[in-house]
Amino acid sequence: MKVLVVNNMAPFSWGGAEELAVHLRSALMEAGHESEVLRLPFQWEPATRIPSQMLMVKGLELVNVDRVIALKFPAYLIRHRAKTLWLLHQYRQAYDLYEAGMSNISKGEQGESIRAAIRAGDDEAFGECERIFVNSEVTGDRLARFSGVRGEVLRPPLNDPELFVGGPSENYIFAGGRVNAMKRQHILLEALALTSSKVRLVIAGPPDDPADASRLRQLVEEHGLGDRVLLDLGFLPRATVAQYVNRAAAIACLPYDEDSLSYVAMEGAAAGKPLLTTTDSGGVLGLVRHLETGWLADPSPGSIAAGLEALAGETPQTIAMGQSARELWLQLGSSWPHVVDRLLS
Amino acid sequence: MRIVVCTSVVPFVLGGGRNIVEWLEQMLRADGHEVERLYLPSVDAPDLLFQQMAAYRWIDLSSADRIICFRPPSHLIPHPKKVLWFIHHIRTFYDMWDSEHRPFPNDLKHRGIREALHAADTAALNEAHAIYANSRVVADRLRAFNGVSGEVLYPPIFQPERFHRGEFNDSIVSVCRVVPHKRQHLLIDAMRFTKSRVKLRLYGASLSPGYSAELHKQILDADVSDKVTFEDRWISEEEKAGILADCLAMAYPPEDEDSYGYPTLEAAHSWKPTLTTDDAGGVLEFVEDRVTGVVAQPDPRSLADAMDMLYAERPLARQLGENAHARIDEMNISWPHVISRVLA
Repeated sequence: MKVLVVNNMAPFSWGGAEELAVHLRSALMEAGHESEVLRLPFQWEPATRIPSQMLMVKGLELVNVDRVIALKFPAYLIRHRAKTLWLLHQYRQAYDLYEAGMSNISKGEQGESIRAAIRAGDDEAFGECERIFVNSEVTGDRLARFSGVRGEVLRPPLNDPELFVGGPSENYIFAGGRVNAMKRQHILLEALALTSSKVRLVIAGPPDDPADASRLRQLVEEHGLGDRVLLDLGFLPRATVAQYVNRAAAIACLPYDEDSLSYVAMEGAAAGKPLLTTTDSGGVLGLVRHLETGWLADPSPGSIAAGLEALAGETPQTIAMGQSARELWLQLGSSWPHVVDRLLS
Repeated sequence: MRIVVCTSVVPFVLGGGRNIVEWLEQMLRADGHEVERLYLPSVDAPDLLFQQMAAYRWIDLSSADRIICFRPPSHLIPHPKKVLWFIHHIRTFYDMWDSEHRPFPNDLKHRGIREALHAADTAALNEAHAIYANSRVVADRLRAFNGVSGEVLYPPIFQPERFHRGEFNDSIVSVCRVVPHKRQHLLIDAMRFTKSRVKLRLYGASLSPGYSAELHKQILDADVSDKVTFEDRWISEEEKAGILADCLAMAYPPEDEDSYGYPTLEAAHSWKPTLTTDDAGGVLEFVEDRVTGVVAQPDPRSLADAMDMLYAERPLARQLGENAHARIDEMNISWPHVISRVLA
C-alpha cells in the first residue's frame, strides 16, 4: 500500500513531530508498504494568516496515494478519501491555550472569526477521517472537549530506544529538548538559584528563536550560576542527547500542559533516571509519581528547587525512583510494529 | 543563508525532476547553507489547476532568506527573493497545445484556461528575483510564450567524479529509463542494418512493462540477439560508471527532449561521444555532429551507418569523446557555477 504521512513543516526547525514522521515512515516500510512524508509549511505568525494557510492545505490535490496518515493542524485538513488521523495536537492557541490566555490569536471580533474558521476546519477534517487516534489521554480529552470527537490513544514509541541505556550518574540534572517559554527552562534556572551550590544543571537543545537562548544566558549571568550550569544550546546529534541523559542524576521536564508523555521524559525513564516535573505539566504526569518515579513540584521556583535538591545526588532513593520510572515506561510504552498495525487497522 | 528549494511532485514517483532538486540541496548544504526541501503534490488535470495554483500562492516561506523553485506551479509561491530554475511549463497548455499530446479539446473552456494560465505564469515569472532555464529550448519558450528572458543554467550531474575513462570496446550502450519516447526500439531496429561487428547494449528499468516486453520481442523478431542485449533492470550508479568507462559510445536518441539529458552528460564525463538524432531537441545543444558525437537521422539505416562508422573509426570515436569531455567546461556545466548563479 502507498501510505503518505502528512505533517507540518516549520521551515528550518526540526523537532519531535518531524522525527516521529520519519520513524513512522520507516516503520511502514518495514511492514512492507511504500511510504513518503509530505511536509506542508505552516507559519502561525501572524495569526491572521492562519485561515489562508488552511485553504492552502485544502486546495492541494493528492493522486497515487492509497492512504493518508495525518498528524497535525493544518496538515490534517488535506483531502483524501482514505484518511487516518494520528493527532499529535490541534492548534492549541485556538482552544485550551486561548482559554489560558497564552494565544497569539487576539481577543475580540477578528480573533473570534479566526477561531471560528479553525474550529470549522477541524470539525470538517475530523468528519472526513476514517479512523482517529490521539498520542495521549490529554490530547484525547481536549479533542473530546473542544470538538466532541473520540480518539483511540496510541502512544508514540521512542524513536531510538537503543540509545537510552542509562549508566552511572555524574550528579547533574539534565533538561533536554526544545528551548522556549512553554518548556520553561527559565523557571528551572530561577529554581537553581535557590538551591545549594552542589546542584548542577545541564540545559541542552535547540532554542526556538535567539531570544529564548539569550533569556537563559541572561538568567545564568544574573544569578551568578556560571559554574553550575552548562548551556549547550543548538540542534544536537542524538548520540549527544543520549549521553547527557545516560550520565544524568535525574531529568527535569516541566513544560506547560504538555500533550503527551514528552520525549524528554520518555527517554529519561527509558534510561532509568528519576524525573522532575510540575503539577501543571499535563501529559508528563503520566510518567511522574511523586517519590515513586521522581518528584512532582508546584510550578514555582521554590517548590522546584526542593525537587532539584532531592534528586541531585545519587542515593538509594533516587536509584529506586529511576528503576521505577523505567518499569512504568516499559508498561506504558508502545512499539512501532504495534503502531503501524493500529494505524492501518 | 536559509534557503528553501521547492518543487511539485507526484507522490511515490521518483527520479526525473526530483534529482536536480535533491542534488542542488546537497550542494547548497556543502556550501554552508541551511536548506529545507519542499515537495508539494500537484495534478495536471485542467479543472483542478487554478485551485492548486491558489494553494501554492498561499504558502508562507517568509522564514527563508531565499527560495529556489523548479517545477510548476512551485514558481507561484510568493517570496521577495524568489529564484526560478525553470524546467518546463505545463506543456499541454504551451508548446504541446498544437500537438496530438493535448488530451483535451481546443474549445472555449480550454482556451480560457490556457489564457488565464499564461497570464498567471507570466505574472509569477515577472515577480521573480532571477529566472534560469535548464536548457535553451526552455529559455526560448519562456521568451516566446511569457515574454521573459531567462538565463540558461545547465544542470550538472551529481558527483561527476564517479565517472572515469577506460578503453573503447565494441559496444554502443544506452543506459537510461526504458520508455517509448527514449526510443530504444529505434536503436534495436537500426541493428538490423549494421554491417560491422558493433554491439548494442541496452540497460535500464522500465516504468511501463509493456514497452520492455515489446523490446524483448523486437530483438527476437529482428533476429539480432547475437549483437543486441537488453538488461531490463535498475542499474546502480557504480555499475553505470563501469559500463560507460569502457564503451564505444552512448546512444541517446529521445524524441524532442527539452534538455541534453543526463545520459549525454554521463557519457561526456566518461570521455565518450553520444550518438543521437537530429530530432532529439535539447540533446543537440550538447551533441554537435562529428564534434562531440554523431547526429544521425531518426531512421534505422542512418543510425546503423553511424554505429558502423564509430566502430570502424576508433580514433574518431576517441577524439569525439575528448571533445565531449571538453564541452562540459565550455558550456559551464558545473556545480560551483550553478551555486554562484542561484545565489546571485
